[in-house]
Formats: sequence, structure tokens, C-alpha cells
Amino acid sequence: MITETFVQKMEEIVGASYVRKTGADLELYSYDASLVTGRPGLIVFPATTEEVSKVLKAAHDHGVPSVARGFATNLSGGTIISDGGLVISLSRFDEILGIYPESRYAVVQTGVTNLELQDALSPLGLFYAPDPASQKVSTIGGNVGENSGGPRCLKYGVTSNHILGMQMVMADGEVVEIGGPAFDPPGYDVRGLVVGSEGCVGIVTEITVRITPKTESVITMLAVYDAISDAAKTVSEIISTGIVPNTLEMMDNTIIQAVEKGGPCGYPTDAAAVLIIEVEGVAVGLKEQAEKIREICMATGCRDVKTAKNQAERDLLWKGRRGAFGAICNLSPNYLVNDGCVLRTKLPEALERVKAISDQYGCPVGNVFHAGDGNLHPLLMFDSRNEAEVEQVHKAGWDIMAVCAELGGTISGEHGIGHEKQDAMSMVFSGHDLNTQQNVKLALDPSDLMNPGKIIPLPPEGSDRLPDQEPTILKRPGGKDATGVSEAIEAIKQAKNENRAIRLAGSGSYNGMGNALTAEPVSINSLQMKEIIEYDTENQFITVGAGMSLMELQEKLAENNQWLPIRPPFCKPESTTGGIVAMAAVGPERSSYGAPRDMLLGLQYIDSNGQMVSTGGKVVKNVAGYDMTRLLTGSAGTLGLITEASWKIATRPEACQLASAVGSLEACATVAAEVIASNLLPNSVTAVQQNGDWQLMVGFEGIAGVVSYQIEQCLGLMSKAGLKDGAHRDYPVVEGCFTEIYATLEQQPFVAQSEVALGKVSQAYQKIEKICSPEAALIDFGCGRIFASFSSLDTTQWDNMNNVFSGAQGHGKLLKSTDDFRKGNDVYGLKKSEWQLTHMIKSALDPEGVFSPGALPGRA
Amino acid sequence: MTVSANYDAIAKCNKCGFCHVACPIFRATGHESGVARGRLALLRGIIENRVQWNEEMEDPLFTCLGCGACTTNCFGAVPTADLVLEARAEYLDKVGKKPAHRLLFEHLLPYPKRLHAAAKAVALGKNSGASKVANALGLLRIFGRDLPKAEGIVEKLPMSSFRGTIKPGVYPGKGKDLRVGYFVGCGVDVIQVTAGKASFEALKETSKSVTVLENCCCGLPPWSYGDVDNTRKLAAKNMKIFSENDLDVVVTDCSSCASFLKKYAKIFKDDTALDPAGQKNMPKFQDMVEFLSGKSDTKEGDRESQDVGSYYDPHSAGLGEQVASRGENSPVIITYHDPCHAVRGQGVKSESREILKAMKGVEFREMPEADWCCGGAGSYALTHYDLSQKVLDRKIKNLKKTEADILVTSCPACMIQLSYGIRRHGLNTKVFHISEIVEHAKDTAEV
Repeated sequence: MITETFVQKMEEIVGASYVRKTGADLELYSYDASLVTGRPGLIVFPATTEEVSKVLKAAHDHGVPSVARGFATNLSGGTIISDGGLVISLSRFDEILGIYPESRYAVVQTGVTNLELQDALSPLGLFYAPDPASQKVSTIGGNVGENSGGPRCLKYGVTSNHILGMQMVMADGEVVEIGGPAFDPPGYDVRGLVVGSEGCVGIVTEITVRITPKTESVITMLAVYDAISDAAKTVSEIISTGIVPNTLEMMDNTIIQAVEKGGPCGYPTDAAAVLIIEVEGVAVGLKEQAEKIREICMATGCRDVKTAKNQAERDLLWKGRRGAFGAICNLSPNYLVNDGCVLRTKLPEALERVKAISDQYGCPVGNVFHAGDGNLHPLLMFDSRNEAEVEQVHKAGWDIMAVCAELGGTISGEHGIGHEKQDAMSMVFSGHDLNTQQNVKLALDPSDLMNPGKIIPLPPEGSDRLPDQEPTILKRPGGKDATGVSEAIEAIKQAKNENRAIRLAGSGSYNGMGNALTAEPVSINSLQMKEIIEYDTENQFITVGAGMSLMELQEKLAENNQWLPIRPPFCKPESTTGGIVAMAAVGPERSSYGAPRDMLLGLQYIDSNGQMVSTGGKVVKNVAGYDMTRLLTGSAGTLGLITEASWKIATRPEACQLASAVGSLEACATVAAEVIASNLLPNSVTAVQQNGDWQLMVGFEGIAGVVSYQIEQCLGLMSKAGLKDGAHRDYPVVEGCFTEIYATLEQQPFVAQSEVALGKVSQAYQKIEKICSPEAALIDFGCGRIFASFSSLDTTQWDNMNNVFSGAQGHGKLLKSTDDFRKGNDVYGLKKSEWQLTHMIKSALDPEGVFSPGALPGRA
Repeated sequence: MTVSANYDAIAKCNKCGFCHVACPIFRATGHESGVARGRLALLRGIIENRVQWNEEMEDPLFTCLGCGACTTNCFGAVPTADLVLEARAEYLDKVGKKPAHRLLFEHLLPYPKRLHAAAKAVALGKNSGASKVANALGLLRIFGRDLPKAEGIVEKLPMSSFRGTIKPGVYPGKGKDLRVGYFVGCGVDVIQVTAGKASFEALKETSKSVTVLENCCCGLPPWSYGDVDNTRKLAAKNMKIFSENDLDVVVTDCSSCASFLKKYAKIFKDDTALDPAGQKNMPKFQDMVEFLSGKSDTKEGDRESQDVGSYYDPHSAGLGEQVASRGENSPVIITYHDPCHAVRGQGVKSESREILKAMKGVEFREMPEADWCCGGAGSYALTHYDLSQKVLDRKIKNLKKTEADILVTSCPACMIQLSYGIRRHGLNTKVFHISEIVEHAKDTAEV
């Protein structure tokens, strides 16, 4: 309740002029860009994290629910709080705190808009990949809350793929630092969970984002169609050839009309649909790619392909696309926008059914969408002054979500669930899935004060849980019916009955990782779960049982010239895909292809009650609910037994080549930095010791001509810098080029892995050398990572090493160590305050601590 | 026109929020009341009976700069500034009109001579420290509580007004046929007198005759306060003057006046007595910047454009040493601020760049966000001092990035505001009207 005392308290914290409560103020904070409205009781405008902390602490003490708000361009009612709650406006958090090109990250306050960040990065030759159409006005904080996508995410991934860390204020006012410039911090992927949590677990005040060098060249094309189905065909065809454009954006005639009415952007108003197709990369080979795309367009019924001749023409094409939502007001006062995803090949069917729904309810519809991702944006038009129209449009919106779920997709690809779609969550998740998600929220916000009543459907009156029912529409093959799953469920239940600790496993290749368990466990493995549950070559995903080995999977995919672009270190022929999920294992290719967290579309796992939980789905964009997929990825068997995983797969690269040369570590580091900052697009940049010197290795993968051009350029850079013995060689697609060094590293009893800020990796290594000289090492410049092995290691050395890692803004862990060492040490190094969040989540999802007790970072 | 009558226009806002990024006030306050979406939401709230007419509406209605940037950024082009302005009238009717406005609008602005007298009294007070005289006149009282803070904005007032020196009347020019009327805006008349003289000289350069008009205020100030009656009276006086003089074009060196004169036709379209289209012998209206660039649709071919390709000597702006200190033959760095009433009010933007870039010895540097409002917005800096300064700070931050010696613009109110910002931030940049720059260049060419 907001009392006079509470208002006074707020005024003390932020100053009276930053506390607002007049009738006009409350009206102004009762809406966002969605149709949801609700009156708050008070609005405060804190200026610092400290003020946010004090505000939340006071709200916690007074039991006042609150919602954080940026510029409120939210499209799902996520920033609306009713019943007199507190709005915490973050519009004063508008500073870019730092840009660090050498380590490829930037730190911004939460209220900086996406475009302001882009504008600050652009002169440095850098960009921040996520580019929601609303980037001009949506804040980075809002992007984090919603896990925003954007046209470019077809190639670069969504917000979650580019967030490295954040400062977050918890519901009780505690401030935690989560992640940082370095990749993959130990513990649960909490930043992955926070991204897309719609302000329901805490208030993010500062964000560390990954930044990317601009590519050398870009070509933007406008393909014009007389039939929308032809445009959809083009999209499928382009993707299946293995070309990954930046964008494949579609607009139908209605949208073209709306946009052109607002101001000509160069779209032909008689076209049934247009596609904006953009490719970028090194200049060599790009024209050929564009030409190939043009051929595909023309072969699939395209009327004409125009190429933007200059930046001004490109900007104009994008201006229309980015303003398409707003432009609807040229046709109708209001719109309801859905953002469901379907499998790409189902786009024509989805569009037909959307049209039928629009006819049925009498709401005209326009479609503008991320076709490459299968991410629809039907804009249903109506006048909010007409109550009957409002009712019809909501029904139409509901039916469209049902169509997306029915076609194997999801109800929201990027706008979030908020309030508008929360009931539709039951279309794609079971009651137990949703209860589990709510448990995670409550683990971090036990009093349910952070943006309460959002995302998860409200339980029936008189209950605090949702009934245990299957998803009402989405059919998930596999699950508990898949081979080996019911047996594992029984085994878990039995062990639990016997009060035994459980070690979840695959083939056992990663068994020695993590901290020593505090109880002798029974082992339950996934080895029986070897099925291919669903393999869709066209939509490029595969769902396989966790017990299938990566090697088997790659063999299967090779039949269709596809692969899973991941080469985990220390992977054995028998290593299971489930194990790779659980360990989040990834090699130096992470810098280009991403980590398992970036490739997993969905999971199923058995939780500590022996119940199945589903996460995610099988479409590439999915913000339905909390990101449980990322939470489970890397959870190392402490949250549940992963039974199956849906992976995003890719067309195999035509060529994989390595350029190498030899020199001192300093010289290698200098060249590595140059390569990384250049227009080249290396897949990995690493160095290994060689006869007292270092060998710098730079891998390139992709179209043969483009690879050989880059190899040539790279060798040029190497020789110019004085590195010797420049050479290049092919390497196999699946195995990659690091198997030898992994084998060498593994021979020692201690193997450490550390991630630090990109620009600090070689200095960090040199400091490590002084503490305890490694027997072997792999320095990964592209990921800011060090693998090092030691013949012996003591506590002091380990502590000193961890100080080095922290000093380089990173962290370390021991992949391999002796039992003796594990008894007395934390293999994840120095305690970090963010680990408490990991433990809070663990206690909520495995309250009795049956899975691998003691294994998590921050052991007692 | 009541708010309810604009329901359709107001309901066109679908709350996409794109206006947030363009609104100088929102970027200064971060409060939804200071952005188009919010202002429109409140107006809609009034129509739909969720919001009442009371003092809470004052800030949302009167903090709008009227710069129009939101409309440019709005795909539906919702004319928020106009809608807000009309709502101001209803607010003043329903919640209360400050009598001081009336003093200015009814007793001062219609009469150039009274304005001159008042300005002179203020000048005496200001320049001698005897500001009591000014207060006694009540001229400044209308600006309310922020006035004491705002008193430093105008550095020095000239003792004589423009029309005190160059009397209204017909003056021969060097051109062939073109008969130009020079509309002397209040700001130029009593404050930016030097700019006025430069404009006058420039007009004579290519015209057969220049008539210094005995016009009164264009009507924009009362219009901004929603005072339609007084706007009408001022416009009527001016229209009479326009039709009585035999003119091809009326030019003014105040972009605000220019945009408002051009607006007469739209504002008074239902008023046969005032609609310029229905008047005989009505000249066209032109911004000085358009005139200088030679882009005229008036008697095309009758005049050659000004010779602006001449060399610009920084000494004429008193910047000789400053520029020379950067090395021999260094160009003078010039940047441009787009007055809202030029860029959005009239769509005049490229002309100024063409003029400046054509000058030799000049390096033109585009200022980031050159078309953002400076926060001057007529008397806004006086009524909302703190807010106006926040908007100005952003402008000065952008100005610093250009490292310009000279900041050029075409609106006297912007000139006052920008000069104040430059003084407050201790910059060396000088502010000139574009007419002054053209005159400097001409002087040099003649030497």
C-alpha cells in the first residue's frame, strides 16, 4: 500500500520533484504502446543505482509492488502496474558509461536508447547487433527486459546473445553484479535468465553489452512480389542454400500503403509484398552472394529486385520498415500487434490463416515481419474508441496466437508476454512448466513485488498454483514418451525415496567437473535416450535425445550437408549431446558460431520431483516465459536430467582453413588484436606454444572463395608484423583444429579454463605463467579465454590465479583436478556475490538438494 | 476550437512512443508529461472524462516548445504542437488567463511605437541597472516566477530600435524589378538591430525597392498562448499594410515571423476578411534565408542571387586572431543552427548550407542535431527558465563538438538563447544572423 509515510520516504530518497502523484501524472503512466492500461499509485524517478536500491528496499518494507519503466514502448503491457502500484521510471539513466573496443564491450545505463548506443559506436567502426525496429526510442534496459530481436537478428541473434552482464537491484534492494565483460561466468546463466524476464526478477540499472566490428561491405535489396506466397518461397530457398543474410524482412501491401502514405520510402504501392534482403561481410564474394539471392528471387516468382545504390537509399528502405507500426495510424487509429513465430516453411499457411481470422472478426490486417525467423507481426486495425472493435480485435489476436502454437511455433518471438499474452502461455506450456517458471521468479523475488502478475497465467481463485495440465495447443513430441525417459523418471523417484543424492550423467566424459559432491551419489544417465525425435532439414533444427553422442548427431546431419556448429573441447567420441548442454561446453569457435546457449531452441528435462519440464520450443525466436533453456544450459546436472534438446543447425561451410605463423606471445597478441579489429571474419583466433615460441592460428570457415581471400589477407597481416613460418591448411569441419592441443592439455592432472576481458587475455596469461608455469596452454584471443594445464597446483597458486582472473575482469574454473584438491578448494575460484542467485534458484527448483549436492560454485 | 473537436486527430496517436526521442523537453525531463504521446493522452483523457481541466494541465500544455520535432518523427504526422496550442486556449478560458499576457498581447504588440518605448525603458533599466523602470512598465512581469533567473539572458539591449534608425518607408535598391517589403519582426526591431541592418542592406542589393514596413507583431506570441482573438487583430493590421503597399514579396529575417506569415492562409482559411488567398494585391512571404539563396518563386529571373561565393574574412567578425592562431590560411569554422520555424515551420534547411558552403575561406561543419530546438522558443526561456536551460545545454554540447568559430542562424530568439548558452559555458563561438555573415563577406569582397 502506498501510504503518506511511503510517499515521504520516496521524497527523501529521490527528492520531492522526482516523486509524482497528481491525477494527470497517474494518467500519463497508465499506458504503454500496447492496449493494456492500469493506473499506478505513484511514480518515482531515481537517478542512481543507489536510489533504485533504496526505493526498492522501502517498497519491500512497505509491501508495495513496483514496475520499472524506460520509454514504455512495450507492446505487451509489461510496463503497466494497476491497483496503485509504484512506477519506477528509469529515464534519468541515460548515460553511456564506457566503450572498450579492444575488449569488445560497452557499459551503458539502462535508459540509453538502442540507437544512441549505435550512434556512439558507429564512429569507432563498431555496432551493437540487436536492432529492434523501435531502436530509435526503445532503451537498452527495455531490450534486455524483453529480449528484443530486430531485423538483423536473423544473422546475429537476439539481445540475449549480446548481453555480457548487468548490475541489478533485487526486490529487497540488494545490488548484484551479474557477469561482466568476460564470456560464460560460472554458476547458472543468470544473465540469460534476466534477459527476457520483463522486469519480474529485479531492476537492471547498468548493462554490459557485447559489441561487434562493422563488416566491410553491405548490400541492401528490395525484392518486389505479386504474390505473398512467392516471397515466402524465396525466404525458404535462400536459407536452405546456406546463405545467411542479415535480414529477410517482409511487408505486405497493406503495410506498404500505410508507410507510403506517411512519406514515400520507395516501395511500389501495387506490390503484394516486398522483401528487404540485406547481406554483409567482406567485400570479396558479396556481390556474388547478392547475385545468387537475386537469382533465387527471380526463380521463385519475384517481379523485380532493386539494389540500394547508396546509404541514402538504404536508409530510406529501412526508415519505412522501422516505422511500419507507427504508420498504421495512416489507415486506422489503433492496432494490436501479435508477434508469434512459426516454422519458416509454415509462413504461407500462417498468413492465410491470419487473413481468415482478420475476415472473421472484421479487423483489417497488415503484415510486416521478420520472414527469415518465421516471426509474424500481423497488425490488426481498429479504433480503441469503439468497444465492440476492441473486443473483436482481442479475440482475433488470441486466435492468431493459437495458430502459431498449432503450427509448431510460439506465441511471442520478441515483444514479450507481459499482461497481454499471459493467458496464452498455456497454449505452449504445461501447468507444471509454468509453475516451475514461477518458482524461479519467486526464488529471486520471494515477496512477488517485482512487476507481479505478469508472464505466467494467474492461478485459479483460491490457489497459488496452476493446475497440472498439458499445453492446450502445442504438441511436443518426445517428452516422457521418448525412449529411456520413463525409466529415468522412475530411477530419480526411487533414489529420492531412498534419500540418495543423484549424479546425473551422460557418457561420463565430463564427470570430474564441478566441486566435490557432499554426499555419495547414485548415478542416473541419459544413455538410453538416443532417439532422433524430430529432424527438419528445411527449418534447420533437430530434436534429439540427450543420450545421443555429438558424433552420431553430426553423422546424421552430414547426410544433408548440415551440422551443429559446435566443437566442444575434451569431447570424446561417446560424449553425449546432453552432456554438452549440461556443461555448456564450447571451443574457440564460440566467438563466431556462439555457445550452446545460443544454439539451443528448447529442452526437456526431468526435475527433482521426477516430473517432465519443457523449456523453449523449436523456433529460433522465442520469448514466451522465463528463459529456462539458458538456465538449464550449463547447470551441470544440478537442476534436472536433460532428456532431449532442440538444436538450431546450419549448412556446412564449404571450406575450413587455418592460417598460422610463429612468433613471441606479444607479437601473436598484437596480430590477433589486429585481425579481430579488422574487417575479416575469423571463426577462431588462438595461439599455442611451439618450441618456446607461440604459433598464432586463425581459422576461417564458409564460402571457399571468401575463405581463401581472408586467409591471404590474414597471412599478409602476420608477415607484416614479423611472424615467421606463415602457412595455411585445411581442417575437417566436424573435428576442427584443436583436437591435438586438447589431448595435450588433458594429460596433466590439472586443467584450468579462464575467461577474461578480450583485450587482457595475453597479459593475464603472462601473470599466470609466473604463478605456476603451465605444461601446455591454448590462448583463445577471440573469446578472451585461456586453457592451461599444470602438473601440480596448490591452494595458494589457485587463489593467486583467481586474483589474476578477477583483475582481468574475468573468472576461472578447473576442468580437471585431483580429488584431494577438490576436497579443499572451490574449483570455481573466488566467491562471487552473484552466486547467491544460483543458490537461490537451486533451492527453489531442487529444494531437497538431490542433484549433485555441493557441486555448484561457492561451496560452503 | 475545443479539445473535443480535435478528437479524431488526438486519437490518431497510437502510443508507439517514437516522439520520445525527438522531444527536447522529454529528453530534459524524462517525464511523460513532456512528450507528444503524453500530452495527447491527457487531451484524450479530458475528452473521455478521465482527466479534469485544472492546474495539473498547465505544465503538460505550457512546457511544449512547439518545435514540431515530434510531428516530423511521427508516421501519422499528428500535429501535436498545434493541438496543444489550441488546448492552451481552452485551458486559459477554463482554468484562468494570466492578465499580464493580455497586457502584452493587447497593449504592446499591436503598436510598434509602444514596443519601442517599452524596449527603450528596459534598455535603460538593463544597461544602467535601473531595472525598476522595466518592472514598472510591467513588460517583463508576464514572464512570471522564472524572471529573476532569466534576466541575464539578454546581454545588452540597443538604445535605439531598428525602425528608430531606419524609418518605415520606401528605399531604392540596386536591382531591376523586384519590389520587396521588409517585415521587421519585434525581436529584430528591438534587440537584433545589427542583424536587421544587415538584412536591409542585403535586400537592397537585388531589389528595385525595399519598403521597410510599419508592421506590428506577426501574431505568433498570442497564438502560442492560444489567444486567437488577439492573433486575429494583429494579423488584420499586418494584412492591411501588405495590401496597401505595392509589393511582390514580403521578406523577414525572423524565421518565426516568416513561418507564421506563411501560416496566415491556413489559420484564417475560414475567415474571408483575413485569408490572404482572398485578398487583392497580396505579396508572397519569404524567409530571408530563401531570399539570400536566390531560391525564389517570386518573379523568377528578375533578380540574380546574392554574390555569396566571396571570401569570408574572419576579421569582419572580430575573429581574425582566433582563426589565425590555428595557422596561416586556416578557414573560419562555421556551423548552423536550424530554427524550428525554419526547418519544420517552412521546410527551409538546405538553403543556409548552400550559402555558407559557397563562401571561400569557410569550413562548414554540420552540428549534430542541428535541427533540435535551442530552448529559446520565443519567450519560453523566460517562462520556463530551468527547462529551457536543460534544452540549451544539449545544444551547446553539440556546438562544442563542431569547435566552430561562428554559429549562424536566422531567428532572433534563437540568437539570444544561443548567445546566452555560449556565455554561460564560456565558449569563444560568436553568434550571427545569416544576413550578417553575408554582409561580412560582401564587405570583404569590396575591400
